[in-house]
Amino acid sequence: MKCMYINNDGAGFADYIEIPEGTTVAQLFAQRVPGGQPSDYLIRVNRQPAVADQVLEAGDRISFTPTKIEGACPA
Amino acid sequence: MLFLRDVGSTEVGGFGLTNPQDLLFVEDFVMVQQVCSAVTVAFDDDSVAEFFDQQIDAGRRPETFGRVWIHSHPGTSAEPSNVDEETFARVFGRSDWAVMAILARGGQTYARLQYHVGPGGSLQIPVAVDWSQPFEATDWTAWQQEYVDNVRRDGPLRGGTFDKIRTSHAVTEFLTDHEWLLQTEKGMS
Ligand SMILES: [Zn+2]
Repeated sequence: MKCMYINNDGAGFADYIEIPEGTTVAQLFAQRVPGGQPSDYLIRVNRQPAVADQVLEAGDRISFTPTKIEGACPA
Repeated sequence: MLFLRDVGSTEVGGFGLTNPQDLLFVEDFVMVQQVCSAVTVAFDDDSVAEFFDQQIDAGRRPETFGRVWIHSHPGTSAEPSNVDEETFARVFGRSDWAVMAILARGGQTYARLQYHVGPGGSLQIPVAVDWSQPFEATDWTAWQQEYVDNVRRDGPLRGGTFDKIRTSHAVTEFLTDHEWLLQTEKGMS
């Protein structure tokens, strides 16, 4: 099935991907962000926060976007 | 960007929207929701995700909106802090390339390109304004609104003063965000 997938890693990605039926959010994360920490990303499905075992459906829009973007001036 | 740096007493930050043909050429600066103090700026995670969705809906590629992280410093130093370095490594370390740009209130600028393709590496790049590019007229009201809409103040301000909107900018400071442009001297290839 086809899902829209958005991620800023590597060359950046914002396109449709083909994934097997029954794929969960956690499985997609492991596949797409090998070695990545889920806590470093906000994971949303159809613009809503997603849980790890959520099963994806055809046409879903999944985004892994960065979290805790923080700046400070030197002390 | 200069206006947003100076409009409040807090740091501010956002993403540079770059030209698809010249990925280090920043054409616009977009703020996301953020919690700021005089010396820190933290983006709201949901707002970052929303920003990505909006930009993609507008037909842009992540490499043209999610790679140039810009924030201000209140003093004269634009040198990155440990917090800045930690964010840059953690958040942008998995992208093929990214730029951390810092604009100090005193006028100093800092920009570093980090790339992770091939052997990887990092280099400081000069920041220049390209005056040959057309830019929109200054719109203080809209920019002020952008600040008010996006910045939530956190922590005590230096000297305990309240924000005061500066209304008399010197002509040289009277720049649009289109004018604060990052350019490299093609040193990355
Ligand atoms: Zn900083």
